[in-house]
Amino acid sequence: MTKKTNDFFPVIFLTLIVVVSVVALTLTNGITKDKIAIAKKEAISEMLATLFPEMEDFTLDEESGLYTPLTGGESLGHAFMATATGYGGTIDILIGLEPDATLRGIKIISQQETPGLGAKITEPFFLDQFQGLSAEQVVLAHNGGKIDAITGATTSSSAVVNAVKEAILKKLETLNKEGGRG
Amino acid sequence: MSNLLAIFLGMALVNNMVLVKFLGLCPFFGVSKKLSSAFSMGIAVLLVMLVASGVTWPVYHLLLAPYGVEFMRTVIFILVIASLVQIIEMAIKRTNLTLYNAFGIYLPLITTNCAVLGITFINIDQTYSFLESLTAALGAGAGFTLVLIIMSGIRERLGLADPPKAFKGTPIAFITAMLLGLSFLAFNGMV
Amino acid sequence: MHSFGKNFVKGIIRSNPTFILLLGLCPTLAVSTSLDNAVGMTAAFLFVLLVSNIIISLLRNYVPDRVRIPVFIVIIASLVTIVDLMLQGFVPALSKSLGMYIPLIVVNCIILGRAEAFASKNGVSDSIADALGMSVGFGLAIFVISFIRQLLGTGELDLFGRSLFTIPGLSDNPVSIFMLPMGAFFVIGTLLALFRWMGVSKGE
Repeated sequence: MTKKTNDFFPVIFLTLIVVVSVVALTLTNGITKDKIAIAKKEAISEMLATLFPEMEDFTLDEESGLYTPLTGGESLGHAFMATATGYGGTIDILIGLEPDATLRGIKIISQQETPGLGAKITEPFFLDQFQGLSAEQVVLAHNGGKIDAITGATTSSSAVVNAVKEAILKKLETLNKEGGRG
Repeated sequence: MSNLLAIFLGMALVNNMVLVKFLGLCPFFGVSKKLSSAFSMGIAVLLVMLVASGVTWPVYHLLLAPYGVEFMRTVIFILVIASLVQIIEMAIKRTNLTLYNAFGIYLPLITTNCAVLGITFINIDQTYSFLESLTAALGAGAGFTLVLIIMSGIRERLGLADPPKAFKGTPIAFITAMLLGLSFLAFNGMV
Repeated sequence: MHSFGKNFVKGIIRSNPTFILLLGLCPTLAVSTSLDNAVGMTAAFLFVLLVSNIIISLLRNYVPDRVRIPVFIVIIASLVTIVDLMLQGFVPALSKSLGMYIPLIVVNCIILGRAEAFASKNGVSDSIADALGMSVGFGLAIFVISFIRQLLGTGELDLFGRSLFTIPGLSDNPVSIFMLPMGAFFVIGTLLALFRWMGVSKGE
C-alpha cells in the first residue's frame, strides 16, 4: 500500500486528476467542436428544407433569429421560430413565409402534448390548413377564421394558432421597419 | 410576476421532477416508506436545489460561457453540488444539532440525486434568468417534496393492504407511482 | 478466468442493476420510449462504466481515502462529457432525443456504486468483467422496457428508421399511455411482479 499520510497528498492528487480531466476534455472538445457546429447547421438546414424543399443554402440573422432560405442566391422568403404554451408544455414551431408574406407552411419542431389528442398538431391534416394564409386569416374556425381545431384538443390547437399569428405580425413589423429587405 | 408563478407551478406540478422527468427516483422509492423521513428528505433536497441553482447559474454565465468552455459544465456542476452538500452538512452540524438529526443525515445522499443536477441543467437549457432559475429550483423542490409526502402517505397505508403476493413491496409502489402520475396529468394545461 | 466469468454473469441476472438492485432508474425509465434510445443509452453507459472501472481499478492503491469520492466523480464526469460531446458531433439526432439524460449519467447510482463497491477493491480484469456484466444487465432491462413501450405505445417497432414490425390495427389506435411517463412505471412494476412470480427474484 502506498497510501500517503502526508496532509497535502490528497489535495495534490485531486488537483492532478482535475488537470488530467481538463486536458482530456479540451482535446475532445477540439475534435468535436467543428463536427457539432456542422451537425447543428445541417439540422437547421434539414428543418428548413421541409418547408422550402428547393432550398440550396440559407443565411441566419443571429440577432432576430430570422432564416432566409436561398436558391441560386435568390431569397425564397423567410423562416423563423415561434413558441407556444400548449397543454403539456412549450411547443416550438417553425414558420415559413413566402416573399409576399403569406404562409408557406408551419412545422412543429418539438411538443409535449398528450399523445392521441394534442399531439395531433404535428399531423399534416392540421398543419396543411395554414398554407397560403395571411396572418389575419390564421384564426380558429369557431372564431370566424380558416383553421379547424383538432377534436378534443382545442387548447393545443388555439395555442399553435395564436402563437403563429402573433409571431408573424411581430416579425412583419420588424421586417417593414428595416425597409422591406429581402 | 405571473411569469415566475408560471415557472413555479410548471416545475412543481405540470413537469414534476419525479413523475414526468423521472429525476430523483432513488430517494422517491428509497425514502418514501415513512412520512416523517419523506418530509425531511424533501426539505433537504429543496434546500440543496435552491443553493445549487443560486451558485451554478453565475458559475455558468460569468465563468464558463464568457471563456467558451461550456463543455466543462457537467464536471464543474457536479463538483459544485458535491462541495455545497458538504458545506451545508457541516454548517448544520455545527449550528443546530436537532436540525442535523432531522435533515442532515439525508444530505450525503443528495449529491447523487439526479434531480439536483437535473434542475441546474434545466436552468441553463431553458435560458432562465437568475431569478427564474431560483424560482424553478423552488418549484422543482416543492414538487419533489409534495410527491414524496403523498407517496409515503400512500405507502404507509399500503403496508396494511393485501396486494397479490408477487406485487408486494416495490412492484406495487411502481403501480402506485403510475396512478399518482395519471392524477398529476390533470394539472396539464394549467400554465 | 473463472472469476472473470463469475463477475460478468452476476450483473446480468442475479444482481441486475435495474430489476434486482433498482439502481439508476432515472435514465432507464426516462428514455425507454424507443429502441433507438435504448441502444444509444446502453452504448453511452457501457463506455462510461467500462472506462471508469478500468481507471479506478488501476488507481485503487494510490487514491487517498479522504478524496476518494471527489476523484471518482471527476473521472466519471469527464468520461460522461466525452460521450456527450461525441454524440453531439457524430450522432446529433440521438443526442437530441436522449437530451440531458446523457450528462445525467454522472449521477447514475450504478456507476458511482460500482466504482466504490467493486473497482476500488478489485483488479483490472475483474473490474472489466463487472462493467461488462452490469452494462449487459442494464442494456437488457432498458431494451425490454423500450420494446414493450414502443410496441404498445405506437403499435410498431422500428430501429434507426428501419421498420421491424407493425401490429395491424394497433398502429392506428395505439395505447398511447405507454409513451407517457406513467407507462414506464406501469411496465417496470408489472415486470418486477412477473419476475417474482416466475421466481427469478425474491419477494419481500
